Amino acid sequence: MIFLRRQLPLLITMITGVLFVGQYYVPHPSSELLLTSATKWLQIIGGFALVLGVSSLFHQHAAKIRRQEAGWGYSVVLYAGMLATIIAGALAKGKESFDGIMTGFGWVYNYMMVPLQGTMFAILAFFIASAAYRSFRARSREAAVLLVAAVIVMMGRVPLGEYLIPLSGDVSQWILNVLNASVRRAILIGVSLGAIALSFKIIFGVERSYLGGGKE
Amino acid sequence: MDETSLGAWMATGLTLFIFSFLYKDNPLFKLAEHLYVGVSVGYTIVKTCDAVVVNQIYKPIVDQGEISLLIPVAIGLLMLTRYVPKAAWMSRYAFAFIVGLGSGLAIPRTISSFILKQIEDTVRPLLSMAGGDGLTFSMNVLNPASSINAVIILVGVSSVLFYFFFSIEHSGPGRVVARTGIIFLMIAFGAAFGYTVMARMSLLIGRLTDLIEFSDASYGRPTLWLALLTIAALVVLSRRAASMPSQSE
Amino acid sequence: MLKIDRRIIFLVIGVCTLLPLLYPVGLPIKISPEVRSIYDYIETLPERSVFLLSIDFDPASKPELHPQAIALLRHAFRKNLRVVAMTLWVSGTGMADQLLTQVAHEMGKENGKDYVFLGWSPGGSAVIINMGQDLYTAFPSDYGGKSTKGIPVLEGVQSLKDVAYAISLGAGNPGIEAWYVFGKDKYKFELGGGCTGVMAPGLYPLLRSGQINGLIGGLRGAAEYESLVGKKGRAVAGMDAQSATHFAIIILVAMCNLFYFSLRQQQGSVPR
Repeated sequence: MIFLRRQLPLLITMITGVLFVGQYYVPHPSSELLLTSATKWLQIIGGFALVLGVSSLFHQHAAKIRRQEAGWGYSVVLYAGMLATIIAGALAKGKESFDGIMTGFGWVYNYMMVPLQGTMFAILAFFIASAAYRSFRARSREAAVLLVAAVIVMMGRVPLGEYLIPLSGDVSQWILNVLNASVRRAILIGVSLGAIALSFKIIFGVERSYLGGGKE
Repeated sequence: MDETSLGAWMATGLTLFIFSFLYKDNPLFKLAEHLYVGVSVGYTIVKTCDAVVVNQIYKPIVDQGEISLLIPVAIGLLMLTRYVPKAAWMSRYAFAFIVGLGSGLAIPRTISSFILKQIEDTVRPLLSMAGGDGLTFSMNVLNPASSINAVIILVGVSSVLFYFFFSIEHSGPGRVVARTGIIFLMIAFGAAFGYTVMARMSLLIGRLTDLIEFSDASYGRPTLWLALLTIAALVVLSRRAASMPSQSE
Repeated sequence: MLKIDRRIIFLVIGVCTLLPLLYPVGLPIKISPEVRSIYDYIETLPERSVFLLSIDFDPASKPELHPQAIALLRHAFRKNLRVVAMTLWVSGTGMADQLLTQVAHEMGKENGKDYVFLGWSPGGSAVIINMGQDLYTAFPSDYGGKSTKGIPVLEGVQSLKDVAYAISLGAGNPGIEAWYVFGKDKYKFELGGGCTGVMAPGLYPLLRSGQINGLIGGLRGAAEYESLVGKKGRAVAGMDAQSATHFAIIILVAMCNLFYFSLRQQQGSVPR
């Protein structure tokens, strides 16, 4: 039973991992066919993964309503919104418009989802300004360097800054294309090396936390 | 009132409810926030059913007879056993397959794209300096492809990589390299901050442009009326909260 | 002064954004080389080349990337390219369909003949690989449910190898990086990118190495592209507000540091 619960999944990970690392280097038509089928399967499994992500949300808010915790009325609003959207979607067969005419589902998307999501992220503008005022101080030499670079880039990337000080545009371009690019390149290389090391650890069974589910 | 005007009122109202958070956390904001989560989740479910269930599973299997697609459906269903405590161990097979496949696909492609190609591009400009008739060295700082910038990029990449290498002590000449790395890092973070400010402001500009568009008389001026309504609601709510200090919300 | 009520700062930002939108000035916009290279490349594409536009963002990034999409589509349709659009982000599907239909209608283009919207499929990088292997396996039908096999706009297109130019307008992952790693690395099509301001600095290494041949960064990039295409839209209109808010932040940061240093001087030398 231990084999079925622990060893076999790790074996599956290793076999599929090694198989598809090798597939990249084999140009044979059957290798290409293997890749096509595998990625097709991943698309379908990806849909189920979305269901997984969504259902944890259900449980959280259902529990809140059941226990009548403070603010459970809002959880009802959440469910109502979700149900209304699903019903509208089912009636419109999942489409926002038919031949240019907007469906009820399209109405919900355009006049509820888009403004809600857009505004949630738009209010961050205010918070970044308030945070900048309260904490963006040149406490050390490094912080001063950061500050100066930020001011140059902020000025150089807007028409008013380029109009007042044309050099700021050129300097900010140089900062982005040379200094920033070199740092980001180093970070990209470093992070990729780390990700590959982790992937190898997963394939060879050293890292097992991704399995989850059940005992052992 | 036609559906566009109704939509304009709905969109404006929800936008202003969320903006009301800037004054203080309040029931209007909480309402809009929970509605946002509900509608987003509902939309994702509808789209997943439409794209996956109908177009990729049902139609190919039933209309075109691709029975082999039942295997990924079975794997997907295995994944859902995670919620049944007794059978949760079966979900391990699904995750093992997905993670193994994902890692296998990602490793060689990441090595090729983000390591080899990036190192190649750091070194190649330096090699191309040595041409047929000796060494050429272009000094135009404003041209990113010039030789002096190639040298600066090499210095930047190596010093930052060295800074993050914590297995050896940053002492002596190592300390100079690490400090150079830190200066490069600070400049890059400053540029990142500048661009983040730009991005956040752009999002706000977008929302306010929509609000201005919806303040037009053809929609019935929803921006004006709903702004007044929101302010009035906030005043009433804060008065009510002030007169009942002992009760929690 | 350092502990000012943050709602005053909110008000300042709100006013700095609103006033230039209501009373625009219209300062000139300089075109950066990374945006120009995308424009120039599309200009060199012959008529009826296949242009793939991957609209990889959701409504949260709409203000920055929607104007980019519109400007690019106007350019592509003007050059009579065959436009194949798709998205890797589920919540952006409705928006992508709408903007494509809107611009196509404006430019008099026909669905199926001049453009097609493939829609969304889960899987992110798996979709890209699948499209690289066989487009018709990845998307057996378009967004309207019609079979993709045999439609005129996809004639001669079997996979990503047959795409002349692909642009990914990305707000995160999956986005431009995924399109390179799982797409261009093996299938060798030319790739360009458009992205939000937050992501832009991180994509410069790919730009420098030629892995992407151009980058349209944020609302500023969109404004530059609109100027190049010759039809100014929301991005150019937002540039004055962008200038005002940036200067507001610079002044706020300068004030904050001024107060901080004068406070430190008042308190005598403080150990670092």
